[in-house]
Amino acid sequence: MDLRLLDRHGLSGTAIVAMRVLAALRILAPIILFLLLWQSLGSFHLVDTAFLPTPVLIGRALGDLLTGHEIRDNISVTLVRAFTGLGLAIVTGAWLGVGMARSPVFRSYVSPLVGATYSLPKTALVPLLILWFGIGNTMAIVAVYLSALLPVVVHTYHGVMATPPVLVWSAEALGTSRRKLLWQIFLPHALPDIFTGIRIALGFAFVVALSAEMIASTAGIGRLIFLYGENGSYDYMFAAVVSVVLVAFIADRALLGVGTWCLRWHASAVDVEQ
Amino acid sequence: MSIVAETGAAPLTRWAASNLRSIASIIVILGAWELAARLKFAPALFLPAMTTVIATLADLIRDGSLPLDLAVSLYRAFAGLALAMLIGVGLGIAMARSRWLRWLFDPLIALGFPSPKIAFIPIFILWFGIDSTSKILLVAFACVFQMVIATYHAASSVNRIVIWSALSLGSSRGRLMMRVILPACFPRIFAALRVAVPVALITTFTCEMVAGGGGMGATLMYAQRFFESPTVYAYIVAMLTVGLLLDSAILVLKEHFPAWRDEGSS
Repeated sequence: MDLRLLDRHGLSGTAIVAMRVLAALRILAPIILFLLLWQSLGSFHLVDTAFLPTPVLIGRALGDLLTGHEIRDNISVTLVRAFTGLGLAIVTGAWLGVGMARSPVFRSYVSPLVGATYSLPKTALVPLLILWFGIGNTMAIVAVYLSALLPVVVHTYHGVMATPPVLVWSAEALGTSRRKLLWQIFLPHALPDIFTGIRIALGFAFVVALSAEMIASTAGIGRLIFLYGENGSYDYMFAAVVSVVLVAFIADRALLGVGTWCLRWHASAVDVEQ
Repeated sequence: MSIVAETGAAPLTRWAASNLRSIASIIVILGAWELAARLKFAPALFLPAMTTVIATLADLIRDGSLPLDLAVSLYRAFAGLALAMLIGVGLGIAMARSRWLRWLFDPLIALGFPSPKIAFIPIFILWFGIDSTSKILLVAFACVFQMVIATYHAASSVNRIVIWSALSLGSSRGRLMMRVILPACFPRIFAALRVAVPVALITTFTCEMVAGGGGMGATLMYAQRFFESPTVYAYIVAMLTVGLLLDSAILVLKEHFPAWRDEGSS
């Protein structure tokens, strides 16, 4: 906001760049401060570095891991599981949500199922899925799918239900077919809600994929973290956790970016400038 | 229900019809489950009959093992939740009141909020052992971000005129906090609590599944390892019921305490 105002007042390019850097520093400074504090805990021997490796040690381990194959291979396994499950959940979830909103009959059949399973802690299904599918990709993807499905269904449903009837009537009066009504009225109107649902589902997807790997798996970053813990190489364990935190953060921000870009025409995009 | 009381017969039949469908859908699914198991579509190891599962569930409740596990798990979940609420509400209000704290914690919370907290299990086990302590603290860690963010947004959007009025009428800082700011935050905190309860349950169960140490999750994993499928199903049914009951309990609380209701869109 401020930057754009400055731009309009004809400030030079370097000044704007300098302000951007300052703004970034302002955000990063607390994190740097936090890391320094953490480092000093280990450096001054206030805490045993075996239990809390210093950021320098973790950074070294992370660098080591990133140059090797271990993290890359395992993270890609986890990401493939999380995103396959999430993708399937988005497609079927949006379809179910629209169906529930458009057809009262369908809704009355499906809603008790959604209501009953919504509050089930989804990781509880992992032992059951191990029984059915064995340990591996299928089990993890199904677990992720089931946990990511409901947020998408519920948010799509609410988004479609909230479509102003005036819009529908106008479109119908202008001769829009039912199929076109779905693509041109209902889905665009529900899009902000669908993105909210997907964002929640993304969080679930990561949690469930990691949990499934920690409970029983032969590959994946969740398994890797545990392996390092069991071997007592704690700096590597912390490095792997850091990489998970970073990947989750980037995925969340990327989704937010895609959402903002897709919704740049929407009324909410005018006010939200953060 | 109120719909029925208000108007005549036509809505009544419609209400009954729509609920008939809902009841029918549950009966059909449970029936299909029972039938598939009885007709041996799947081995009993994968799909025990519904009646078997219910009998097992009754046995587990009667011999006291399930209630005991449930008590252990709920203790962990609620201890963690309480801790998260104390820290989250405190920090949220502090951040809303102080620019420095906001500057300090904002990036850390932005980084921590989307991270899958479950990945921290091994770290918490390393620090706090495999008993309840590590699980309670991980639950607190998983829920605290939600609480901080909700409280912070609520506390920073308290109407300034209300604060000024209270101050000009001579309220002390403590009274201002207890009588003005906290009550104004209640609806958002409560909404965050409704999100945090399932998170606390999931985190507790998952911790127990991964690290053992008793509780619902540990017994569930144990049963799975020994292929005691009816017990696995019974525990999942129990977890589902607990989740449902807790969520409806929160909704009932919301009905009974209008001050906790969010006036705007929920």
